Amino acid sequence: MERSIMGALSFLKESVFSDEYASQHGFLQSIDPRMKLVVCAVFLLTVLFTHSTLVSLCLYMVCLALTYYSKIGVGFFLKRTWIFIPLFSFFIAVPALFSIFTPGDPIAVFKILGLKLVITRQGLSGALLFVTRVTTSVSFAVVLSMTTKHFELLKALRTFKIPQVFIMTIGMCYRYIYLFVEVVENTHQAIKSRIGRRVHYKKGQHIVAWNIAALWFRSYQMNEAVYGAMVSRGYGGEPIVLNDFKTRPRDWVLLFFAGLVSLTLLYLGDKLKFGIL
Amino acid sequence: MTDVLFELKNVHFSYLGRYQALCGIDIAIEKGQRVAVIGANGSGKSTLLHLLDGLIFPDKGSVRSFGAELSEETLADEKRNHDFRRKVGLVFQNPDIQLFCPTVKEEVMFGPLNFGLDHITITSAFNSIMDLFDIKELSGRMPHQLSIGEKRKVAMASVLISSPDVLLLDEPTAGLDPKTSRDLVALLNRYHSEGRTIVTATHDMHIVEEIADVVYVFSRDKKIIRSGPPAEIMSDIRFLQENNLIHIHAHAHGDKTHVHPHDHPSHEHDHKSSV
Repeated sequence: MERSIMGALSFLKESVFSDEYASQHGFLQSIDPRMKLVVCAVFLLTVLFTHSTLVSLCLYMVCLALTYYSKIGVGFFLKRTWIFIPLFSFFIAVPALFSIFTPGDPIAVFKILGLKLVITRQGLSGALLFVTRVTTSVSFAVVLSMTTKHFELLKALRTFKIPQVFIMTIGMCYRYIYLFVEVVENTHQAIKSRIGRRVHYKKGQHIVAWNIAALWFRSYQMNEAVYGAMVSRGYGGEPIVLNDFKTRPRDWVLLFFAGLVSLTLLYLGDKLKFGIL
Repeated sequence: MTDVLFELKNVHFSYLGRYQALCGIDIAIEKGQRVAVIGANGSGKSTLLHLLDGLIFPDKGSVRSFGAELSEETLADEKRNHDFRRKVGLVFQNPDIQLFCPTVKEEVMFGPLNFGLDHITITSAFNSIMDLFDIKELSGRMPHQLSIGEKRKVAMASVLISSPDVLLLDEPTAGLDPKTSRDLVALLNRYHSEGRTIVTATHDMHIVEEIADVVYVFSRDKKIIRSGPPAEIMSDIRFLQENNLIHIHAHAHGDKTHVHPHDHPSHEHDHKSSV
């Protein structure tokens, strides 16, 4: 139980609250977060609309190039993204290979426990397209989140007309999750210092349940106090926050290239689909 | 005739209708006055400040501010609410409550932005306040990356940037190192010299005489048991001991151990009580 709690807290702190890569002086870090978000959206839409595995792979290469020039180790990036990709793709893609789900021209036939399984060309093609789509989309999402500070990313969502109050609420959740992570850590240390390392599992469950209740009560109290602090400084129901983003020529150049690359790949993908190239 | 900014008459307040926090409080705070509110833990100091800031309202009794009643109904008026919030600033005891924005810069600018000030005024005020607290390098940091002293400075800056006429401070020196505490006292006195009213709730007996013209002492039963000039109250050692505001302190000088009240404004003390 102790290992689970401390492991989860440590993962949360390292992965969610670390701005290590967002603070580097790399290419994507120097781009206006709003423009970065739009560029990623352009690439994601291209991935969504293409029916060509090759186009998806090309966009994946573009993503890896952006990662490299943003001073993120490509090996580290691959490790980070490939944790999620099997979760989102393989379990869906594998059944799609077989004729049961995707009928078509058989390319391989085998038997498992007397059950005849047929992999079809259409199934393989669909599964490959699905996996490359997921791979590329997850990679763009990860590179965006790694090269942008979380609060900038949230603020950039205003570009898509997401209500300010929604963005501020998420930002505050993010802010206070950290505080509560620290509370959980400290509480855990305090319990350990008083009752030692070995605790019967039933007692442990009781302590955890009690702490969840205590944490919930604290967060409820804090919720009211924070609202008071906001009201005290002029909050009247519609928060006004700082907008200090600046768009520079390089941001527009990136957007232009993103558009150009996407349109070109979509065009080529269309040709590939009809077997002209 | 004196200009009374806040007038509390027979104010009672309880949390959840059960836990009494203030009992029959009568206070009048004049313009430009420096008020210190002292008392043991749980004596109602923070509740009083929240009441003065119009965040909570009494169960019984009346609160008047700037010549008008201060209540939920009067603050429902947008203009009155806006004027009141601009004039009164509260620095909370727990800076984590006050620092709800993602970065220090946004935190400090939150007040002026929500008061509708123009961008040039805000930028200029921001630069001045960050220089004043010497926290310019913290501008892009997130609150969880700050030490307690830095958080407290940012919390102060986020209120002072709006230049409120009345400054309410809840335990402003808690968790601060001695040098920063001294700087804070100097800053408060500078603000006072500009004609501002300052109300400070504190446990820090060292600073009371420097930051107050009048002291209110709260008892454990949530009442004001004494008020008056700080010199008079701070010199009544027995009274302070009875109310948990100072304690007897034993320490050694060479081979001699002696006891004396923990708080002594000047650091010299006699050794008559040596044991």
